[in-house]
Amino acid sequence: MAEATKNKGYVDPRPPVIGPGYDFNSLTNKIADIVFMRHFQKGWLFGLAVAFLGALMLFNTIGYLVLKGVGIWGNSVPVGWAFDIINFVWWIGIGHAGTLISAVLLLLRQSWRNSINRFAEAMTLFAVACAGLFPALHTGRPWVDYWLFPYPNTMGMWPNFRSPLMWDVFAVSTYATVSALFWYIGLIPDLATMRDSAKEKWQRMIFGMLAMGWRGDARHWHRYESAYLLLAGLSTPLVLSVHSIVSFDFAVGIIPGWHTTVFPPYFVAGAIYAGFAMVLTIGIPVRKFYHLEDLITMRHIRNMSKVMLATGLIVGYGYLMELFISWYSGNTYEMFMMKNRMFGPYGYMYWLLILCNIIVPQVLWIKKYRENLKIVFLVSMFINVGMWLERFVIIVMSLNRDFLPSSWRMYKPTVFDFSMFFGTIGFFLTLMFLFIRFVPMIPIFEMKALLPQSKVEEKREEAVEGSLPGGVAPQFGD
Amino acid sequence: MNKSYQAPADLGRIQYSAVGLGLLGLIGWIVGLLVSGHAREMFFHTYLVAYVFWVSVALGCLGWLMIQYLGGASWGLLIRRILESGASTLLPMAVLFVPVIVGIGDIYHWANPAGIESEEIRALVEKKTAWLNPSFFTARAVFYFVVLVLLATVLRRLSHRLDREGDPSVIQTAQNWSGPGFLLYGLVCTFASIDWVMSLEPEWFSSMFGLLSIAGSGVSSMALIISVSVVLAGREPMSGVIRPKHFHDLGKLLMALVCVWAYFSFSQLLIIWSGNLPEEIPWYIERFKGPWRYLGVALILLHFLLPFFLLLSRDLKKNARRLVLVAWLVIAMRFVDLFWVIVPSFDLDHHQVAKFSTWAIYIAATIGIGGVWLGWFFWQLRSHSLLPSNDPQIEEVLHAGGHGH
Repeated sequence: MAEATKNKGYVDPRPPVIGPGYDFNSLTNKIADIVFMRHFQKGWLFGLAVAFLGALMLFNTIGYLVLKGVGIWGNSVPVGWAFDIINFVWWIGIGHAGTLISAVLLLLRQSWRNSINRFAEAMTLFAVACAGLFPALHTGRPWVDYWLFPYPNTMGMWPNFRSPLMWDVFAVSTYATVSALFWYIGLIPDLATMRDSAKEKWQRMIFGMLAMGWRGDARHWHRYESAYLLLAGLSTPLVLSVHSIVSFDFAVGIIPGWHTTVFPPYFVAGAIYAGFAMVLTIGIPVRKFYHLEDLITMRHIRNMSKVMLATGLIVGYGYLMELFISWYSGNTYEMFMMKNRMFGPYGYMYWLLILCNIIVPQVLWIKKYRENLKIVFLVSMFINVGMWLERFVIIVMSLNRDFLPSSWRMYKPTVFDFSMFFGTIGFFLTLMFLFIRFVPMIPIFEMKALLPQSKVEEKREEAVEGSLPGGVAPQFGD
Repeated sequence: MNKSYQAPADLGRIQYSAVGLGLLGLIGWIVGLLVSGHAREMFFHTYLVAYVFWVSVALGCLGWLMIQYLGGASWGLLIRRILESGASTLLPMAVLFVPVIVGIGDIYHWANPAGIESEEIRALVEKKTAWLNPSFFTARAVFYFVVLVLLATVLRRLSHRLDREGDPSVIQTAQNWSGPGFLLYGLVCTFASIDWVMSLEPEWFSSMFGLLSIAGSGVSSMALIISVSVVLAGREPMSGVIRPKHFHDLGKLLMALVCVWAYFSFSQLLIIWSGNLPEEIPWYIERFKGPWRYLGVALILLHFLLPFFLLLSRDLKKNARRLVLVAWLVIAMRFVDLFWVIVPSFDLDHHQVAKFSTWAIYIAATIGIGGVWLGWFFWQLRSHSLLPSNDPQIEEVLHAGGHGH
């Protein structure tokens, strides 16, 4: 039956997730050669230099900030939270794509995740590192940040467990730990591959130490598989919990514009939205620069575009609910907040946000545009900006007109707000540049499992067991 | 190869038993109403609970139907006919909405703002009359059903065309409908739940309410899908087609939905409880009092914790007979949840609520409407092949795991 229908214009919606013509060796070489390359490409050096300048700007700002205090920022009552929290939420959100791709898609057995997961996980780690800087420095005395943890002390200090800021400490540190473990454990088999294919002794030594004695033993693989699955199970709730708790930072307060029940799922969707946009923002140029079109295929780009479209619509749903409920509530303050948000002094930010997050991404409905790298890249840039604007709209605009008109004041970020924000982008990119050059950015062994060669055993088993009328499941690369 | 997947003969017996049970429920309901002493008021209250319970199952089926087209996973193919039959009940459910419109004045306080005792609440409700008034309410309901019935009908027609003509491009068309369709569906479900349930207490609001209702209908419909799949898996022609692996998948989906429901419910509670604002918290205070509190505790234990821990087990998910027990527990708890959300809004005094006889009328009403729903559902399920056997993915589903036939 399937034979009869196969050629009637039906296209399998799931083309292979790896280009044709690879075997185990050529695949290893393709990925490992980027790391073993003797020279540094000019493009890479230039990119790293620019990014590192940004990182230096960050370090300088931090130095000055610690010296002078948080007064160098533009935060001023009633806007006590501004760039520091906006950037924190923005970066944390960006990290979410990594966890979703690695953990959730693994549990859902989506094999297309295999080429982008490591890269996305690295992004998660670096993004969380950038995010963590902001609250840690906003305390004003970062050298006593350990007071945030509940430990017995003689000062009679104990954190307030009813505060979502406290939950944040635990949520984010758990998130960072689990993500780092997950990333590293996934790397071990590849580090061993690198050790075995390295030509220089010092390379063998470094990769050998990092590979922790991995020999590819059946027992190693068995333990690896269970550890990886367990960590995936642990990470899955983290995709939801971290950003839900971030949303509680606002929602459990009673500031109009912050206090609304739809916040947790809407923030989580926004985080995944931003994260996928960042994966594409970085993935599309890297794919081109290192000629990885066979490993990060158009199917990957298409699927990620679809995830972006879907999560973007959930975010749009969140905006709609905020708007509708602020009217439906009949509450004067809620209504005023919404009016201020749309037509107040920062109103243009709201409409920009709608443009970036809601209007522009709708082009992804059209298949032709989902396959056009330039358009996908451009859309993800819009989303990166839009998601930052969203946090500005929620945080600053809800605060700057508080309950007492006498305390209304406009918020103006200072040069240090900007140097810190752009500095973290530089820092993030620096880490990304180092990562793609010194670590295999695509999991070699997971890609091998997608090769047709690795299906041979499976096919034979099936043939022995069943009486299949020639109908073997479609093979990748067929 | 061209095996026919006609519904087994004894599915008819199950259908008639469901209708028969429904008739018993109907009789119990009528008797209960007459005995209760205030039949008119009680009728509309019990009717709303029963109606919302079943319409939410139907909505869930429509949602899953679109999701399985969008996701393209193999479990979707096996349950597609169940989903189509479930979604087709939206047509009779649209007709059954008429009593709610007739009873607007008895059900919703906002229909008659002048009758609200508290001056504050009256002022608040009067602000909302642009949205909450009988004619706009009716117009919106008509719009919701036009959209829902249209989506259900189009998807069903497409699927039957695939059966007849074997043209696989139909799948693409169905997917094209499902994308924007799901968007519309989400909005319709949200506003329907705000209109039909949230506005029972017109002064109260929660922007999570729509999502919470969608998650609820996802849970109840998945539990129904599992129950029906178990029935089918035990009989030819589907025995050997629906295998433990598929129950494993469905069990995972049920577990995911139970978690999502708990996540939404808890978030809503936590945010409102922490805010402790006079316009939001009374809704929960009412539900933390008297007999309602026990139902609330039951929801935590039996709608979340127990199913969650049971469904963690892989063996249980693969074992159809045990999985179906969890599904029934969850269906029962869906009723309890809706009961807990809806009935406290009706200003009954606590003595009346605490009486089992009052609860029994609600249960009887739900069984009564259930007879109609299930009768229609099984009629639709029986009238077509149980598998879309011209779907290009069918071979993969039938043979996955090396299972020959």
